[in-house]
Amino acid sequence: MVSGMSTPEMTAGLHLIGEQATRAAAKAKVQAAKSISIEDVSVSYALERSARRCVLENISLEIEEGEFVVLLGETGCGKSTLLRMLLGQERPTAGQISVAGSRVERVDARSGYVPQRYSLFPDRSVLDNLMMGPLTSKFHILGRLRPSYWEARRAVKAEAFRQITHMGLQASDAGKYPYQLSGGMQQRVAIAQALMMKNRVLLMDEAFSALDPSTRSSLQRLLRSVWSETRPTVVFVTHNTAEALFLGTRLIVLARESKDDACGSRVTLDMKLAEGGMTLRTHGQEFLDLVEHVEAVSCGQRLTAPGERRTASDAWGEELGRVEPVRVSPEDGVRQ
Amino acid sequence: MTNLSPFDIQARPNRLLAQALSCVLFVVCIGLYMHTSVERHKENAEDRVVPSGHQLVAGIRSAVLEPAEEDDYIPAESASTWERLRHSMIWKDTASSGGRFFISLALLIPFVVLAVHIGLFPWFGAGFLRFFLFFDKIVALSLLPILFIAFGIDQWSKIALIVIGVAPTMILDVTQMVKAVPQEQIVKAFTLDANNFDVAYRVVFRQVLPQVINSLRLNLKPMMLFLFAGEMIAASDGLAYRIAIMRRHMGMDVILPYVLWVALLLFLIDFSLRVINRRLHPWFQA
Repeated sequence: MVSGMSTPEMTAGLHLIGEQATRAAAKAKVQAAKSISIEDVSVSYALERSARRCVLENISLEIEEGEFVVLLGETGCGKSTLLRMLLGQERPTAGQISVAGSRVERVDARSGYVPQRYSLFPDRSVLDNLMMGPLTSKFHILGRLRPSYWEARRAVKAEAFRQITHMGLQASDAGKYPYQLSGGMQQRVAIAQALMMKNRVLLMDEAFSALDPSTRSSLQRLLRSVWSETRPTVVFVTHNTAEALFLGTRLIVLARESKDDACGSRVTLDMKLAEGGMTLRTHGQEFLDLVEHVEAVSCGQRLTAPGERRTASDAWGEELGRVEPVRVSPEDGVRQ
Repeated sequence: MTNLSPFDIQARPNRLLAQALSCVLFVVCIGLYMHTSVERHKENAEDRVVPSGHQLVAGIRSAVLEPAEEDDYIPAESASTWERLRHSMIWKDTASSGGRFFISLALLIPFVVLAVHIGLFPWFGAGFLRFFLFFDKIVALSLLPILFIAFGIDQWSKIALIVIGVAPTMILDVTQMVKAVPQEQIVKAFTLDANNFDVAYRVVFRQVLPQVINSLRLNLKPMMLFLFAGEMIAASDGLAYRIAIMRRHMGMDVILPYVLWVALLLFLIDFSLRVINRRLHPWFQA
């Protein structure tokens, strides 16, 4: 018994602890449902003479499980920085990020990752690239000496071949090295490589940006169908509006308040793209610099004149009634 | 079809012509040597500075089939050619120098591993990089007296000289290779549940290995240079020791075959490493 504490006090204390535990469990449950949680995140870098460059400022986002979120914005607006923080590659200057219910401290296997370039290991064949993840997670560096390694390898190999055909590649491509594949084929393998790990979160950084339009379009369709099958949470960074509208169930536009502004990007527009229509949410009174990027949403009806500055809430408030389901012309290669 | 001048960047010789061109300088060198030798032998039939073909053959024969002066003589009639070869001067010297060379090569492996860590693990980098940057600037030959005092004049002083001479450069080189591995690859490996050592050895080391082998190929000559420096100053056997001894006797008929033999050995080691690299890392050639 703890000295100096009466029984009712102890009971109350235990009750409090129980309540805290329940609350923590409930919070964890909510966190788990919210696949990704970004709370008041700011990022700034030190410059010369004690100056700082602010890349992102007070970003808060909740991404639910199974959402396909597209981060859209101009070059240098901080999309990739945000993605790197989700990966754990960079740490925010302020705020915190949680993925799959726990705080992100370092890069680990809770998220799959498909970058724009260098997505495959050049020294491994397609098959070895695909098998690397599952085998590494079960057998670390000296694990190959264990007899169970070969049995596990057989099972993983079968799954790798299934993924190869699922991604529209030939079984004969399994033995090829990445340099023997086209850019599109490499990205197919990279997606398969991430899927082999069966992660619930997939982070893609301009994964299709270096591809020609037709390959890009076919990979967009492939990714969309893969996502429809297993519904992982996807965060996809792009600066291509048509791609964003085709792929995403939710579109987040990052932009600076002003190009001359010393401080960084904010979430300018956060928009749910439902299958039959869409709802729009705006955050605060930010200026909508990227209005030309989202004009396609309203079927070509320009919301504001180029260069004209209106607050996002004003612009969207007036135009909400005119917003229609996403329909973009076929030549844009986006969802009909 | 336009005939391009041979001095045009866009002009390409056909394969046969290219091979013939690559032989020209060899032929010129041999021709010049023979001419000089003949001219000198006209003046002095016993000239040993530029030995004639006969003198060279005799020199090669004695190096390949006869033991060194300090060793026991094996009578030609009672021993087989193979046995004479095994006790020959060139074999003994090649074995001694080769042993030192390959022990040094093996001792460089831990330094390559250290370099991978320096390039990959920031804490290792912080601890070691500046030290090796400084150490690289120390002229290894200036340490030779210290090495002779520390290790004696036996083979370990020469091995230490090679390692001290080559290791810092290789460490800095490999560190740069490791740093050049795209960050995306390292991040990707971590997302595939690799731990630190998986990333270091299964991802990064595998990717830089062909470049490490190429770096080693480039360092073969400096390694031999340090070995020769050590052997010429203090040794009782070895290829450079023999060249130094023969210089005292003006034994160009032995020195020249030794020089060509060392070049051939280095060429063969380099060629083997190139073939191994190509076979083991077909992806690297792309």
